[in-house]
Amino acid sequence: MRARWLLPLGVGATTVAQVAYAVQYLSVEQAQRAAFANATRFEPVAATIDNAALGAPEGWRPLIWRVWNGEATVGWFFEDAVIGKSEPITYSLALDAAGKITNLEILEYRESHGGEVRLAAWRKQFSGKSSADPVALDRDIRNISGATLSCRHLAEGVHRLLQLYAHVLAAKP
Amino acid sequence: MNHVRRARPWLGTIVDIRIEHADSARAERAIEAAFAEIATVHRLMSFHADDSDLARLRRARAGERLRVNARTHEVLDWSLRIAQVSDGAFDPCVATMQVARGALPLPKSAVIPDAQASWRDIELLDGERVRLRRPLWIDLGGIAKGYAVDRAIAVLRAHGAMQACVNAGGDLRVCGARAQRIDVRSAGDVVRDAVELADAAFATSTSTGTQHLHGASKLAIDAGGTVNVAAPTCIVADALTKVVLAAGKSARAALCAFDAQAWRHDSRRGWQSLGLAA
Repeated sequence: MRARWLLPLGVGATTVAQVAYAVQYLSVEQAQRAAFANATRFEPVAATIDNAALGAPEGWRPLIWRVWNGEATVGWFFEDAVIGKSEPITYSLALDAAGKITNLEILEYRESHGGEVRLAAWRKQFSGKSSADPVALDRDIRNISGATLSCRHLAEGVHRLLQLYAHVLAAKP
Repeated sequence: MNHVRRARPWLGTIVDIRIEHADSARAERAIEAAFAEIATVHRLMSFHADDSDLARLRRARAGERLRVNARTHEVLDWSLRIAQVSDGAFDPCVATMQVARGALPLPKSAVIPDAQASWRDIELLDGERVRLRRPLWIDLGGIAKGYAVDRAIAVLRAHGAMQACVNAGGDLRVCGARAQRIDVRSAGDVVRDAVELADAAFATSTSTGTQHLHGASKLAIDAGGTVNVAAPTCIVADALTKVVLAAGKSARAALCAFDAQAWRHDSRRGWQSLGLAA
């Protein structure tokens, strides 16, 4: 095990900075292929949605695809977004032909938070590093610790999509 | 080298897994297997579910021998070790108090727990069996997430990942030859600092006033700060954040016992380092 801090602890505040954080995990196409390896066609579906009846916010418009393998429907695919802590989380949900969840993926996660960065030199030491630096190599895939992200909104989103399937899509010929 | 990164909701948070693998198809299979393992830990150790190992244990009578999954047995074993070394500051049996104060939901069916019961009443037997000396309720919320991260890292390694990071909402572990940078959040979601980790785990807990209970005194921990712990494994890092929140400087013995180091931050004193020298 090796762990070390990258700045001297206990140094006073010198600058204020905004830190933004965004990760794209999968594109819609990648998520579709990952969820349905046997699909021959993803047919966009324009459904009439009664948002109030589903308990969904005004303006909620998930994207829906009917997934085909030849002449048979093998499932349904949704792209939707919910608010995470402050910014939207885009996710996809895949259902099999019987409406059972087969896959749930976060597609894109964004977050921004204002922060007082305590040391200007601390920020500089990263911005100035080259690709040869072992730390800078990980810049594009950085992690943020301490973020206990509420996935309650996500669970609510999935619940709404299941309701949408049950009330609107399941009966489609 | 193929970089693959995925995130899915598990363990009450969003679990982010990223790996570097020589083969892209095997990378995908590795991540699927890691998420499957996390899902298994989630189901076995959920306090909320009515069919988890914890639900079965709270239906157990005093003295009854109950067989649990090997994973649950292992997490209980770690819980008892950390409870012992922290003099009960960490105690999975605070679940009863947490239900009483509304921090956990009232279980549907359970034996009425003994108010005096503590971690000392949990007896681990051979053959993945558990015996409770008094009826009690167990919550592994302070430790199971770290265990799930460790299990996921083991699965990714077994599937040939060269580098990996598994982050379950701030409880994370990295493996691989190269050091990885982790941005560290303090109270109020402010990113102030960063650590560099290689083959290590890192966990963060923030005391928001009433969230955590001291295992021995049963009082809410109101230290008003953030605790970060680096340790060889995530189960230890996760559990020790609670020990440091509860016991402060008295947590040194526990930190040293598990080769861990801790940093505590509050607005008054700034950062303080505890445990092994950084």
